[in-house]
Amino acid sequence: MSETENMIVLEAVEKVYPGSTSPAVERLDMAIPRGEIVMLIGPSGCGKTTTLKMMNRLIEPTGGRIILDGDDVTDVNGDQLRRKIGYVIQQGGLFPHYSIADNIGVVPKMLGWDKNRIKERADELLHLVGLEPSTYRDRYPRQLSGGQQQRVGVARALAADPPVMLMDEPFGAIDPITRDRLQDEFLEIQRTVGKTICFVTHDLQEAVKLGDRIAVFGTGGRLAQYDDPDTVLTHPADDFVSDFVGGGAAVRRLSLLELSRLELHPIETDAAAVGNRNGTPVAEVDGSGRPVSWRHLPDRDAATTTLVTVPLSGTVYDAVDVMLDGSASLVAVVDDEGLPQGVLHWNDLVAGLKTRERGA
Amino acid sequence: MNVFQYFSANSQQILFLTQAHFLYVLICVGIGSAISIVLGLIVSTGEPNPNRFSFDWWATGVREGSLLITAAVLTVPSLALFVLFLPITGLGVTTAIIVLTVYSLYTVLRNTVAGLRSVDRAVLESARGLGYGRIRRLLTIQLPLAWPVILNGIRVTTLISISIAVVGSIVQGPGLGQLLLTGITRIGAANAFPQVLIGTFMCLVVAAVFEIFFAIVQRLTIPRGIRV
Repeated sequence: MSETENMIVLEAVEKVYPGSTSPAVERLDMAIPRGEIVMLIGPSGCGKTTTLKMMNRLIEPTGGRIILDGDDVTDVNGDQLRRKIGYVIQQGGLFPHYSIADNIGVVPKMLGWDKNRIKERADELLHLVGLEPSTYRDRYPRQLSGGQQQRVGVARALAADPPVMLMDEPFGAIDPITRDRLQDEFLEIQRTVGKTICFVTHDLQEAVKLGDRIAVFGTGGRLAQYDDPDTVLTHPADDFVSDFVGGGAAVRRLSLLELSRLELHPIETDAAAVGNRNGTPVAEVDGSGRPVSWRHLPDRDAATTTLVTVPLSGTVYDAVDVMLDGSASLVAVVDDEGLPQGVLHWNDLVAGLKTRERGA
Repeated sequence: MNVFQYFSANSQQILFLTQAHFLYVLICVGIGSAISIVLGLIVSTGEPNPNRFSFDWWATGVREGSLLITAAVLTVPSLALFVLFLPITGLGVTTAIIVLTVYSLYTVLRNTVAGLRSVDRAVLESARGLGYGRIRRLLTIQLPLAWPVILNGIRVTTLISISIAVVGSIVQGPGLGQLLLTGITRIGAANAFPQVLIGTFMCLVVAAVFEIFFAIVQRLTIPRGIRV
């Protein structure tokens, strides 16, 4: 991989806090590929936040080099550097005395954009994060809910269109339901903006859901494993990682894997497809296109097999639950409207689940 | 003469003294607040790094030192402080203004320091993360957010100063003190009681005018997003 394919490269980066003998982060080498989401995870005090904050030099490393988009930024002006890197923190950190539009516009203003352009950009970003500009642009942070504030925090970080975003547990203080929705929206936004994102979390579920890669930090700022989520779950690099991922990793993986990330088998709803040779199951649908029973199954009697469905937004765990419950060896995966999107076989669980590239 | 007769006979002089009293307090609190706020801004930096000698150490020293000195000044009886300045600056308005200004420092300084420090850490951290430098952060984030607390300090100082200003007349300072002091030293004599009573009442009038003034300033200067 050439240098510029990696957006952020840490070379032997080290942080020893004054007065402490052991390093908070120990000679860390890490490359973050352009356009990917990398999740930094680990127990508290493992140096994940320190690592994140060294990337925009909020914390100055005591050794090593930081390379951003091919340029060594270890010694450039920190304030100038940070204006080119998006930054989102847990509590949002919005400026209470600025309106929402002004909050979003702070970095463009520092960069000297003209007023109209800043205004248009704020509206555009409010729209992107799902807040109606005409309703929200003139409000103040205290008039917004925690989830809305966090959306504005993301919009503010995106304002000057930085190639890199650093996020320090952005959804950590949000209630679980809102957090889940914010995560989905976040992935949606990432599909349109395609930023390189570094994201600190302590939630394994979140790391697996959002991450293209996961960096597991061990105590003392050691990078224990840096791999895609599946590999971290199924092949932990060492005892520390397998402890961290937890026992029964194979089963736990089921509840972490979302069906939307799986390569599903095709499903047919057209009666003409009955008896096809390629083994595609055919479902009978009701008036609105929702599957109600099996019309044809390649390897068993369709009439005696119950048709069970699971939403695409569920996890493999949900699919297994539904299959066990209905004594069915296959399950139809349906979207929000109940339309069939594919099929998951019981055998797939043993044969190995195929995940697909996100955004495909 | 009763109080009303005295008032109508001397209304011009009384109004002049009241006006002088108002301006005297305004000037001293104005100068004192400006000094305190600027000093507070300069010395209100982050916690000093225990392992590196830096500006923060110097600032922390000055901050604690100046709080201590201004607090000590506040405990010196005002009568004594006015007299203590006499050998240096002599009788008159100069001494009166210097002493009252010195008195007004502590509350505003303390509130400035406390207000700047009470700003949410998350707000400051995100400002830093977005590329705000130290000075920009201090002036565009910390100061506006601390302003309600600082303004309250100025208001309290003003009220205290209105009564201390009365004492200023023993060094021939301006204001209602002249009327009150004349009355007090001659108590029992003709017109002494009306002088004390009217002097006190006009102090209350000055306080009321300042309260209205501050209500307007508050309305105009506290950013809408943090107005309670």
